Amino acid sequence: MLRFVIKRLLTAIPTLWAVLTTVFILVRVVPGDPTIAILGDQASEAARAELRDKLGLAKPILAQYVDFMSQIVQGDLGRSLSTNRPITDDVLAVLPYTIELTLASLLVGTVIGVPLGVLAAEKRDGFADWFARLFSLAGVSFPAFVSGILLLIAFAVELRWFPVISTSKPGDPWGRFVALVLPSLNLGLLMVAYVTRVTRSGMLKALGEDYVRTARAKGLPHRIVVWRHAFRNVLVPVVTVVGLYLGVLIGNAVLTEIVFNRPGIGKLIVTALNQRDYSLLQGLMVVSAFAIVVANILTDLTYGLVDPRVKTS
Amino acid sequence: MKRHLLAATAATMVLLAAHSTASAESVLNVGMAAADVGQLDPHRATTTQDKPVVSWIFNGLVRFKPGSASLEELEPDLAEKWEKSADGLTWTFHLRKGVKFHGDWGEMTSDDVVYSLKRAADSKTSSFASDYAPVASIEAIDAHTVKLVLKNPIPALLGIVANYHGGNIVSKKAAEALGADFRIKPVGTGPFALTEYKSNESLTFTAHKGYFRGAPKIDKIVYRFIPADSARDLAFTSGELDVVYGRQDQRWVERFQKENGVVVEVVRPSELSVLHINQTKKPFDDIRVRKAIAMAIDSKQMVAFKGAATAIAPVSVVPVGYLGTHEAKLHPHDVAKAKALLAEAGFPNGLPLKVIQTSLPTMLNSMQIVQAQLKQVGIDMQMEVVDHQSWHAQIRKDLSEANYYSAARFPVADVYLQQFFHSRSTVATPTAVTNFSHCKVADAEIDAAAIETDAAKQKQLWATAQQKIVDDVCAVPMFEQLQVWARHTNVDWGYKFEGAMHLGPVVTEATSKK
Repeated sequence: MLRFVIKRLLTAIPTLWAVLTTVFILVRVVPGDPTIAILGDQASEAARAELRDKLGLAKPILAQYVDFMSQIVQGDLGRSLSTNRPITDDVLAVLPYTIELTLASLLVGTVIGVPLGVLAAEKRDGFADWFARLFSLAGVSFPAFVSGILLLIAFAVELRWFPVISTSKPGDPWGRFVALVLPSLNLGLLMVAYVTRVTRSGMLKALGEDYVRTARAKGLPHRIVVWRHAFRNVLVPVVTVVGLYLGVLIGNAVLTEIVFNRPGIGKLIVTALNQRDYSLLQGLMVVSAFAIVVANILTDLTYGLVDPRVKTS
Repeated sequence: MKRHLLAATAATMVLLAAHSTASAESVLNVGMAAADVGQLDPHRATTTQDKPVVSWIFNGLVRFKPGSASLEELEPDLAEKWEKSADGLTWTFHLRKGVKFHGDWGEMTSDDVVYSLKRAADSKTSSFASDYAPVASIEAIDAHTVKLVLKNPIPALLGIVANYHGGNIVSKKAAEALGADFRIKPVGTGPFALTEYKSNESLTFTAHKGYFRGAPKIDKIVYRFIPADSARDLAFTSGELDVVYGRQDQRWVERFQKENGVVVEVVRPSELSVLHINQTKKPFDDIRVRKAIAMAIDSKQMVAFKGAATAIAPVSVVPVGYLGTHEAKLHPHDVAKAKALLAEAGFPNGLPLKVIQTSLPTMLNSMQIVQAQLKQVGIDMQMEVVDHQSWHAQIRKDLSEANYYSAARFPVADVYLQQFFHSRSTVATPTAVTNFSHCKVADAEIDAAAIETDAAKQKQLWATAQQKIVDDVCAVPMFEQLQVWARHTNVDWGYKFEGAMHLGPVVTEATSKK
């Protein structure tokens, strides 16, 4: 298994390199000037030119690229152009929030989505199925910022159960948990939609298979037939969706973090983009790309756990 | 099962209640429409989110009276008194004694003042260096006396030593020791010291107990960055924010005015929205075409669209209420005449106008009105809409045929005229600032006014300059927009909030929260 992980990490290197190069080029192709964010709109062109020189932005693109890559190879993400703080510090400060939001949403999505999908398949065309289909359709069609605002109006402004501003409160784990509820529900419910659909269709197929009929003929209880025989065979596509959805979650986290005002990688990316903070943006892309690679490896490893036919060693 | 659920819910509610009443100190929660701080070095800070905060941290030799954005109401701040020589060239400031910087940075002396003003005058460390061009020397006479000598008298010397932009006094020791970090670790003498910065989240300020006007009544300010309008409004409604940056939008103002326990404050300075016409692009080098554009734009309609609660009609190419603003004779709105002028210039069937436009919603909305108005005279304005940062970069490369820009500046006509209409500031030159139109008709008057000692003559020069710029149609003033803030009634500023050069409320030692 260790060899598998190492092999996968090694094959990820070209992917990461390609992502970084694309990001490096993209941020420079998009018109914009970090000196406007740093110096404001009243500074003279001479002052801007001087700052560009100081920040190393006046160097030829190729030289900047070599600088950037050699930094990355040494494990150094560099310093933010606009705040001059080490990017690693900025990333580490918000990374736990993004991770906890992603995991909590994953949990919400799976814990609600899987049983709902199974139930829908079991009661095909019944009320539960109808409800699950409608619910998942709504989930797929709602943009994260709309559902987020609706959740805030209902539970934070009207009922006042949760705060509107989900910012960090050091030394207050309960407060941190309360602040996590609405954002993770918001992200998680979107995921429920996908998971329900995949589980439902997988289960429908499985329930019609011969081995299920055999199990029923043997006189096994309904619960065992559904969960042990049919559901185990649906796990691989479900894990695939959950794994793939991790990438979607990181993307949707941007909107959720903004609406719920949570610190996180997504919010940082938007700020970096708005300020044309090239170095911060590059650093964040390194982290995001790496996170997705790791998520993929974890997904592959999970296949081996849920399906003995898949070998990872 | 049901009982467990009930018990769990009850426990949750108790914990939540305990949590919300845990703090007894007086904390002011302010919500700002930005994702993060720009920077807090007062000699560099120019963005709307940074300026109010700078006013809590720093003092100047004199200050704008809290709640006012008027140069006529400057009052002593770090300087107790001052005198000027008969020729108006030498100014001597006597500093207050025993003024403490935040933390362990010691007492403020003339060394800090000299250092700060020199720093503000140096373009390597300041964005406002040009404001100090007429200053010949700044020196310390003793620990509490500073002498400032000018090359020539200037219209508002006290303005450049006020608690605004370059006039803010920083701690010399701190600025030298912190270097580049000073912009997020500012040290001043003001009522509040920055104690925590959470990137993309908030700034926390703690009362400066040793503040020279007395310890502030507010213990702590949490300045939160909430870029999403809806989230910010909801947090204000739910009471999580005491003060919120409002939207410059009639509906927003009306909605919050109706809410119980909420005060909406619409304050000066106004930002003037101007359409700059690029005279170097054909056929806009023809004054008849530019005049036609000016006559096509109906500023009354623009004000009506923006809403009378926050918008006012412009009177000149300099915002209303600045020292030297002249009620210029603007081009009247006249569709028939505009069409006739276009026909005369050889465009009886109209012409296209290509502009680069920011996607920032409030600015894009206004530009769509302009687009509709121009259409009436046959001008087809084609907008290339790009994101705000791209727009900032592209308009400075002289790529647009016309450019909509909205800004407030230091309230002296000179600053606005220099930055937007003097040929020195033309974009895509080494000395560029924001002259997008390549305007040069009023250079002589602007330069003469800057060194004119006689106040009446100076006003006359500024008036002539403004009329010339209007007549040459370098730019078309469209409307002016005031700043909007809202607070819950339990917050008392300690003064009447009618204006703020810092674009936001100045939290002073007298500000309190019940």
